[in-house]
Amino acid sequence: MTQDELFAKIQGQFPQVQKAQIQVKDYLTVRLSSKDDLLPLSSWLKENSFDYLDMLTGTDYLGPTDMKGYISQPNFNPFLPEGATPQIEPSAAAGFPYRPVLDLLWSFVSLKEKQRVIVKLELQRDSPSVPSLTGLFKAADWQERETYDLLGVRYEGHPNLTKILTPEFTSGHPLRKDYAHVKDRFDE
Amino acid sequence: MSDAPQAPTPAAPIPAAAPAAKPAPAPKAPLPEPKLNAASGRLLTDRFATWPQPIFDSKWSRQGYRNGALMLAGILLGGGLLGALIGELAPWGDALYALVASRAAAAGFAPPAADLAWTLIKVLIVLHVILLNGLWAIWWERKISAHIQSRVGPTYAGGFHGWLQTAIDGIKLLLKEDVTPAAADAPVHALAPAIVVIPCVIAFAPVLFGRELAAASLDVGTLYIFAFAGISVIGVVMAGWASGNKYSLLGGLRAAAQIVSYELPRGFSVVPVLMFAGSLDLAVIARAQEGYWWGVVPRWFAFYPVVGQIAFLIFLIASIAETNRVPFDIPEAESELVSGFHTEYSGMKWSIFFLTEYGYVLLGSFLLATFFLGGGASPLPWTPFTLVPSWLWMLGKAMLMMFVFLWVRWTLPRMRVDQLMDFTWKFLLPWSFANIAIAGLYLAFRLR
Amino acid sequence: MSDAAALPSLKSDQLFINLGPQHPSTHGVLRLGLTLEGELIVKAVPDIGYLHRGTEKLAEVRGYHHCVVLTDRWDYVSAMPNNLVFCLAAEKLMGVKAPARADALRVMTCELNRCASHLLFFGTYGIDVGAFTPFLYAFREREMILDLFEMLCGARLTYNYIRLGGVGMDVSADWLTRAKEFLEYFKPRLDEYDTLLTYNPIFMARTRGVGLVSAAEAVNWGLSGPNLRGSGVNYDVRKHDPYSGYESYDFEVPLGQEGSCWDRYVCRVREMRQSIRIIEQALARLPEGPILAPGVAKVPKPAAGEVYAHVEGSRGDLGIYLVSDGGISPYRMHVRAPSFVNLAMLEEKLAGMKVADVIAVLGSIDIVLGEVDR
Repeated sequence: MTQDELFAKIQGQFPQVQKAQIQVKDYLTVRLSSKDDLLPLSSWLKENSFDYLDMLTGTDYLGPTDMKGYISQPNFNPFLPEGATPQIEPSAAAGFPYRPVLDLLWSFVSLKEKQRVIVKLELQRDSPSVPSLTGLFKAADWQERETYDLLGVRYEGHPNLTKILTPEFTSGHPLRKDYAHVKDRFDE
Repeated sequence: MSDAPQAPTPAAPIPAAAPAAKPAPAPKAPLPEPKLNAASGRLLTDRFATWPQPIFDSKWSRQGYRNGALMLAGILLGGGLLGALIGELAPWGDALYALVASRAAAAGFAPPAADLAWTLIKVLIVLHVILLNGLWAIWWERKISAHIQSRVGPTYAGGFHGWLQTAIDGIKLLLKEDVTPAAADAPVHALAPAIVVIPCVIAFAPVLFGRELAAASLDVGTLYIFAFAGISVIGVVMAGWASGNKYSLLGGLRAAAQIVSYELPRGFSVVPVLMFAGSLDLAVIARAQEGYWWGVVPRWFAFYPVVGQIAFLIFLIASIAETNRVPFDIPEAESELVSGFHTEYSGMKWSIFFLTEYGYVLLGSFLLATFFLGGGASPLPWTPFTLVPSWLWMLGKAMLMMFVFLWVRWTLPRMRVDQLMDFTWKFLLPWSFANIAIAGLYLAFRLR
Repeated sequence: MSDAAALPSLKSDQLFINLGPQHPSTHGVLRLGLTLEGELIVKAVPDIGYLHRGTEKLAEVRGYHHCVVLTDRWDYVSAMPNNLVFCLAAEKLMGVKAPARADALRVMTCELNRCASHLLFFGTYGIDVGAFTPFLYAFREREMILDLFEMLCGARLTYNYIRLGGVGMDVSADWLTRAKEFLEYFKPRLDEYDTLLTYNPIFMARTRGVGLVSAAEAVNWGLSGPNLRGSGVNYDVRKHDPYSGYESYDFEVPLGQEGSCWDRYVCRVREMRQSIRIIEQALARLPEGPILAPGVAKVPKPAAGEVYAHVEGSRGDLGIYLVSDGGISPYRMHVRAPSFVNLAMLEEKLAGMKVADVIAVLGSIDIVLGEVDR
């Protein structure tokens, strides 16, 4: 089954699902129009041999990472002279569509067909929430917790949506681009 | 001169005050040219020079095996000769007792005083057997485990194969801080090692070290040993409870369940031996195994067809379980319970647990030798062997059994708690009962 | 569970135990909160994050070349596949293809590293079930592989050997000879391992039928690597989605039958044999030529886009999702860490087991906490 056949099959079932503008190279990438389509599509995929949820994650498209709070001194490179601007400071790339959204991603694999389909969904950055896939795929359990912890996406229906990687006493979601480290009892 | 490149001899400056008679030191062999890694520029260690040498095919290893075999032969021959020179130890003991008694009489003490002094002397001797066994067995275990694991083990302390290693370790343990955890029940925590070690020492009283050589000759020797050896588990449970550590507690509970369970097959497996010998006295049991079938095969209980082998194996397995050693080491299962009941012990208290473990290994070894391997009897009826005194045969057989203990320890994985219990209740115990029945048949048909 | 349920009238308290983060057999800083009913586990809650260093965030402020160094620190037991997967993703982003010699070297080093990693597993799993001796045997051989890596790139654990567009250093003739010598030495050792541990009755009693994961369950949990194949599911990235020329190598994928700890263990031991086959083929064919592709800038600025690349790491399907905004550093990097996904099933699997089985199951999943926490 080629990518086009697969996409035609998906669109036969879900006409509102579109091909994503930016494709993940080599793999079929589709974009959902609303979060209500996620559960039907994933259960349909699961029935149609895409029963292996490989990965789920997200990206914050706000802009380049804010370095504030990460580095204690303005010049963290010891080889640079005093007062010089840091060598590596991410700056906004020209022409890239930064926007205040979280772009979520699910990657389903068919072990039988050796195919992969990547499903994407854009959410607004403030209080984003999507239905949880834990009812269909147990693999979603920890990965949703991780995405919740690092990006702050609420997965509705997750049985135990708690922090998993960062300690309890920290606040904020580190992989958001505007995250600034708040000093806690372990600093200095 | 050959035309091979000659290393430049370092110009050794001779001190002016050096006496002329002293020969000049031989020039040191030049260091090999340092090899650099082409990629990283780092210095390569010289293991690359002989790498990868299959360990079992190397010349060094073959030499090692030859040397080891020669050494073993030397030890056996030398030990045999020395033993033949010393002769039986029992007459020496009688002479010593006569000396003590005459001295006491000369000093005007009543006869019971001489007996008391003599008992103290015997206690000291047995105590030192246990202590020296600790020194020896730990070193031996380290060497055996090392060679099983293709290592060399201790080589430095003392010079010859690291023979001083345990003594130095002991000094270290004596000097270590003795920590009592804040959560521990301090008096019980301190008492537990004593409760563990005292029964072990007491149980050695009737143990036979030669044909008639024992600290105390008891009619119920077998029963006495089993009774006292069973008390140690109370100390283990106390240690587990008093440490205030959940891992220790679990270890103590496991130890209680395990040791109590394995007491049964251990006791019942000896019953056929007692039936054949007709006595609980260890000396009588050993004497019953003297003599040879057809003039060659020793009449040891281990060689009784079927019944002897079953009893021997059950007793060996149960003895390993009693000493908490792999594959039955669940009370101190390192990977599950950290160290089990002695997790929170340090310094000398910890080493007392260790000493006790080896004490019980020695006890098990001597019992195996007494019950099944003919005690002090020579395995072959011919002259050079019969000249060797009985205490040496006993020691040799016990050491062979101890080697089995160590060998099993370093070869097998650990069993799980329920498998362990299944093994004793569903396998060992029924077979030991069946064995008693078989022994009864032997006796009924006078096949002995 | 059945034993505890059989005694409903007996009043007893449950015991809570912290297994870890400092414990001899949690293989790192994993913490398991165990609620015990005697020896039986009522509830097990894994707690991770003690080694979380935020490499995904760190990558957002580093150049692409610098990110390779970060990858070494995930699965520090087998760092070559980590290097490889990042380089594959970044190369996809830049449209660069590694030359043939570099591909062969990548395959060779990754397979050697798989052997080293599985040897570590073999040794520590022996310790987990109480056999100490296999550990020393395994480390004798692992040491030689690490020596080979030291000769190659100067590092024994965090290699940074595979670079964007190829590999960092070329092999010498000496290295190739030693690698061949090592393989000849290593092959009979695998039989030794089988006699020492694999078919030991006590070991089989401890691990067979313990921690069963059915094929459907394994797929649903998203397991990968030997954990998935131990359940009989034939999924190997080297066969399904070949990279670095794996499609041209002749090797088999060992499969388990019932998905017990023993099957997972046997899969790993058999995989070492297949790795040897692959390395031998790579050594035989090693083409001459450059080891670095031209056209990789010192400060790469790939065009905006998204890629996903994955490799069969020593612990499973190791993937990287990389987003570029056209800047000097990745805009977003996400690691699909096999250890993290595999570990998730622990919580459900452990309930109802004995304490000793926890160690057997945890050991058979073969996690590296550096990869779980990233």
